[in-house]
Amino acid sequence: MFSMTRKIIILITTLTALRLEAALFKDNDTVVLLGNTVIERAQHYGYFETAITLASGKKNLKFRNLAWSGDSVFGHARSYFGPPKEGFRRLTVDIGDIKPNVVIVCYGAVAAFEGEKGLAEFIAGYEKLLDMISETVKPRVIVLVSPPPAESMGSPMPDMTEHNYRLASYTKAIAELAKKRKISYADFNAEIGNGVKGMTDNGLHFHENGYRVVAPKFTKSLGLTMPNESQLMSENGTKLRETIIAKNKLFFHQWRPANETYLRLFRKHEQGNNVKELPMFDPLIEEREKEIEALRLKLTTDK
Amino acid sequence: MNFRIILAPLTLSVGILSSHAQRGLKDIPNPDPVVQKAGFNLPEGMQIELFASDPMIAKPVQMNFDTQGRLWLVSSGMYPHIVPGAEENDRVLVLEDSNGDGKADKRTVFADKLHIPTAVLPVDGGAYVANSTEILFLEDTDGDGKSDKRTVVLSGFGTEDTHHLVHTLKQGPDGMIYFMQSIYIHSHLETPYGVRRLMGGGIWHFRPETQRAEILSKGLINPWGLAFDDYGQTFATDGAGGDGINFIFPRSVFRTSPGAKRVIRGLNPGQPKLCGLEILSGSHVPDALRGVMIAPDFRGHRINTYKLTPDGSTYTSTRIEDFLSSSHRAFRPIDVKMGPDGAVYIADWYNPIIQHGEVDFRDKRRDHTRGRIWRVTFKDRPLIEKKDFTKATIEQILSSLLSKERVHRDLARTELRNRKTPETFSKLKSWSAGLKDDFSLLQGMWAYQALNSTNVGIVTTLAKSSDPRYRAAALRFIYHRYDEVTGAKQIVSKAIDDKNAQVRLWAISCLAQKPDSQSVPLALRALDQPVDKPIDFALWSIVREHEAHWVPQFESGKNIFGGKLPHLLFAMKSLGKPLSLKSIFKGIDDGSLDAPQKAQAIEVISLVGNAKDLERLLDLSASNPAALDYLITAKKIRKLQPAKGLEKILPLLASDQPEIFSKAAQLAGLWKFIPARKKLIDALTNSPKKRKAAAEGLRLYGGAQAVTLFEKISRESKDDAVRIIAVRELASLAPDKAAAAAVELLMKDDGSDRYGLLALFLKNPKASSTLARALKGKTLPSKIASLGLQRAGTSGRPPIDLMEALKASGKLKPMTQQLTAKQMAVMVDRVKTQGDPHRGETIYRSSSMQCIACHAIGTVGSPIGPNLISMGASAPVDYLITSLLNPNDKIKEGYHTTSVIEKNGDAHTGGLIIEGRDEIVLRDFAGEKIRIARADIKSLSISPVSMMPAGLTASLREDQFIDLVRFLSELGKEGEFKTDARQVIRKWTGLRSHKRVADQIAHRGAVIFAEPFKDYQWTPLVSRVNGELLPSDLPKVKGRGNSRWSVARFGLDSKKNGEVILKINNTHQMYLFDGIKEIKLPKNGPATIVVTAGGADDRFTLAVNSTQRPAPFVIETQTK
Repeated sequence: MFSMTRKIIILITTLTALRLEAALFKDNDTVVLLGNTVIERAQHYGYFETAITLASGKKNLKFRNLAWSGDSVFGHARSYFGPPKEGFRRLTVDIGDIKPNVVIVCYGAVAAFEGEKGLAEFIAGYEKLLDMISETVKPRVIVLVSPPPAESMGSPMPDMTEHNYRLASYTKAIAELAKKRKISYADFNAEIGNGVKGMTDNGLHFHENGYRVVAPKFTKSLGLTMPNESQLMSENGTKLRETIIAKNKLFFHQWRPANETYLRLFRKHEQGNNVKELPMFDPLIEEREKEIEALRLKLTTDK
Repeated sequence: MNFRIILAPLTLSVGILSSHAQRGLKDIPNPDPVVQKAGFNLPEGMQIELFASDPMIAKPVQMNFDTQGRLWLVSSGMYPHIVPGAEENDRVLVLEDSNGDGKADKRTVFADKLHIPTAVLPVDGGAYVANSTEILFLEDTDGDGKSDKRTVVLSGFGTEDTHHLVHTLKQGPDGMIYFMQSIYIHSHLETPYGVRRLMGGGIWHFRPETQRAEILSKGLINPWGLAFDDYGQTFATDGAGGDGINFIFPRSVFRTSPGAKRVIRGLNPGQPKLCGLEILSGSHVPDALRGVMIAPDFRGHRINTYKLTPDGSTYTSTRIEDFLSSSHRAFRPIDVKMGPDGAVYIADWYNPIIQHGEVDFRDKRRDHTRGRIWRVTFKDRPLIEKKDFTKATIEQILSSLLSKERVHRDLARTELRNRKTPETFSKLKSWSAGLKDDFSLLQGMWAYQALNSTNVGIVTTLAKSSDPRYRAAALRFIYHRYDEVTGAKQIVSKAIDDKNAQVRLWAISCLAQKPDSQSVPLALRALDQPVDKPIDFALWSIVREHEAHWVPQFESGKNIFGGKLPHLLFAMKSLGKPLSLKSIFKGIDDGSLDAPQKAQAIEVISLVGNAKDLERLLDLSASNPAALDYLITAKKIRKLQPAKGLEKILPLLASDQPEIFSKAAQLAGLWKFIPARKKLIDALTNSPKKRKAAAEGLRLYGGAQAVTLFEKISRESKDDAVRIIAVRELASLAPDKAAAAAVELLMKDDGSDRYGLLALFLKNPKASSTLARALKGKTLPSKIASLGLQRAGTSGRPPIDLMEALKASGKLKPMTQQLTAKQMAVMVDRVKTQGDPHRGETIYRSSSMQCIACHAIGTVGSPIGPNLISMGASAPVDYLITSLLNPNDKIKEGYHTTSVIEKNGDAHTGGLIIEGRDEIVLRDFAGEKIRIARADIKSLSISPVSMMPAGLTASLREDQFIDLVRFLSELGKEGEFKTDARQVIRKWTGLRSHKRVADQIAHRGAVIFAEPFKDYQWTPLVSRVNGELLPSDLPKVKGRGNSRWSVARFGLDSKKNGEVILKINNTHQMYLFDGIKEIKLPKNGPATIVVTAGGADDRFTLAVNSTQRPAPFVIETQTK
């Protein structure tokens, strides 16, 4: 299902002539991706990670996608049986375990539905989230990514014009927050702008091809220079992306396992012994990451 | 979705299973489909054939037919948990019967690489698939029969427990996609309309064209089956709840929905857990079965049948004879659907034992390969024509929409969605213009709705139908598409006054969709007609949901309720927040409220009034003593008391009515009203009838003064009764000071904790430690020590030190028994070879075992613990043994206890019943409700401790234990211990021996049992599982000389008017009275009696001379 059955020509108008060695990443960095649906689903398709991996040149990067559909800066979606603060606590533990050097955060798509009246609370919550991340792991870099704009798909789908105004206002506030905290800011929202159509099925979330098309924009918003299209679509490029997807699946089943109630929560007296299986994913992930690194080396040297 | 099923992999022989894995699995049924088929018990005229079996299919979870007539199913061998490194490889299979012989002859793997998929719905040119965290839409774009395009439609579904994952995809008559999730799942869906979150169980609907996903209903433990009747009304079954059929209306909330302050119940409390649901339809089905609902009882190897009749806004559901059952212990029906040929299809997960999380994910017995689809037909009845709608013209599709065969109508409507062209709309328009009768108009309305469109004319016409079912259907349409129906507001305003209750319920639902300043006042007009439970719930719900819309209007002084005080009272009570009570007080003062309304007004004042408002309640308490209770609750929960005028309590303390005094004493204490204190001390020492209440009041004052007082009394009082009271109160206030005295009392206890001391010392760790210390070197009777140990073991944080002290002082042997694998194997074997289920039932019923105090079997018993109706058919013997010996090892979902710690350190444990804004309510192990103010709570957590005490079976001999386990293991299996559809008298009260009997029986005969005589004492008891009662189950009533009598009273569980037939199995030595009027019975043999319906629970008296007649009796009831 991940193979390209149709050739789609992508115009990468934003490519700059110079290949910049971005200062964002260093060799052997662990990168956490955090946010809600748009970031969560990126793990299925691998375009974001593949693009960043190739754009970062000769650096070995490890990615951990901790995004969760419907999540907020307060941790709503990861709270399981408790209030959002338990989700926040869980995220604190997850981040603490991973110890990322770089954290890429993209919230605001859900919160923006609240409009102006929810903005102050959102930013205050975002501050707390960033404080937590800084205190927990002191990452070298935190990047705030603005949420992508929504698409109006025509009747009977809703007109998203109003929502895009709200997203713009949240985007502005996120930019100010980054500036205030002197951290990096990636204007994904502006990078996509109004120019991209037909990239989603519901106006909000990219489909497979959508991710492929916006991946360069995501990368560019991070200040990286995109790898060229042929590299990405080459046999090894495809293999790299498929390996990244396989690694993501393994990691997903490890950090967000099904049956959490039995493994670690209040039914662990019944099945808690099976929590021993979770570390068994480590060598499997490591193996995939070795393959990813080998493919990256191949791709970045043989061009 | 509830997969509580695992299987002994039959490819392995028993011999190569480890002894551990063999437990409870010695009688593995023969997996040969021929053998399995022979095990079916079918009613006359029904036949069953295998449609598909392993290896063609495996582990079917849900199935649905497509418009070509092919059967789609999801198959999960990965369930319950992915193995590290394993590929996601679950599948969607498509089965075809190409030659029409009733057997699948072609199988296609439409999709694979899925992770525990739990539902498939082949519509809209592809298939929706529930796949753990996501709902996917899979398409075959190149026509090779295999999916090659995978779209994530919705994501953010929780996976906290894989037998509760998002499941049961179903298309409604409206063209929307419905699906469900269960108790432990928390979902967060981002939609173009904002995020939608559902915590716990519930039902969603989703409109593909607009990508709108909304919650229809919340709760149910494991909502599983979903069906729409011919009018679009929605019904659900619960795979872990016991309420049979549940009537679903928008915004309804059922039990276990997190944060629910109020829930409604299903239609048949006390039924087996059900998965799947289908309404039988079509000309192939016998007339008597058409329209009935069938739902698999997957534990009991059978499919239950329910007949519904409209009753107010909801339905009465009666269970009738089983659709079918099987004695083959691996038959596990989990889905049932009407087929395109008019036959009934059953998905059989196939499994000899049944489990979900209780058995290890990696237990070798879990089967990952078997599964069957059965096809049920009826002799001498032609099947219906199986149509391939993909080949039909628009004209044919439209004409099929009016078919008398429901499956044709449904599949035609599904196909219509694939032809969404301007041509279709134009043909639909001219077709629908010719529709005349209500039935056809309804199909026309749905055809438009299925195409995400609206025909206002049809909706308006149906809203005026003379048949309320069509009016309700029109309102259901408006609920979903309000803005598109011109005149919707007028239709709804009219419907709120409709003479049919279900139409009114739908009108309230429609109003709930459109919050404005008028929505609540308009909805409350439904109060002017009879209000049943769903309407009451819907009104309560809209008042709260639309708070921001009506409250400001009301607060600004607008007369929004049109001067109708009962409406205002309902609104205030439902909202439970402070509001201006001016008009209420006016109504009380000017006498415009009648007595019941005034009583309601008093309650409302206590719920929403401020401190000043509460002042009025003291005045009103003279005529309404309930006002005192409300004041107590206001202080305890709302922490609010009258601003002044507390001295009005003083005259009440002089009352000679103990209840009034008791409430006044509590209030004086709660308010710490100093002038009353002296009066209480006086009552404590001088007034035997008041001293207990006085002591409680004094304790509520608290502080050093109270401690000193009780310490003094417990030390100095010469009156034993007063001293005991003082010790108790002291134990509450300062356990360290009371511990020594309490131990003295416990040493003399008969084992029943007659002074109620244990609970006082168990309420917090400090108290239990002081008792532990005081027990050092003392000897307690073993009975009281054992009781203490049981109670301690079930508290949220078991006090280890006290438990050790109790063991030592009572010289108790360790109670928790861990059996080794070998011991377990021996025990399991003995249960099967030596256990006697009849003796076991007697042990189960004995009062010392206390089983009945917490568990029900079917409709009778207590709701505290899980219903055991089909325990034996679902749980293997080793599970039962472990559950009895170590209850904490096995806790059913929905029965986890909640531990609440108050700010003062007091701990409470129980089942969480209500989670309100101001208070939460727990049900403790004694069935008592504990109300705790939110303001007092320090922490609230789900406890890993079972409410079932360990060691309950410690008093049993081993043979008795084995009999008990055998009885439990037979429950729900085909045979004597399976409850059937018969209505029998199950609830009785038994007369205890009384000397009046021996004195008068010879002169006056059995009528003395029927006479109202207030000194008689009656003990409640229930029939055996098979409906019988043995005379020896009743207390022995001593008659004259050696004669003994068994006497029981019962009522008819029927509120309806009319007549009821009583069928008695054998009247030998039996006397029966209706009131005091004797009903003449034949001397022997069966009897049939006709009586009028209704009456009290003790209306009938039945007496048996048990010296002459030891045989059991059973009374079956039939409504005429």
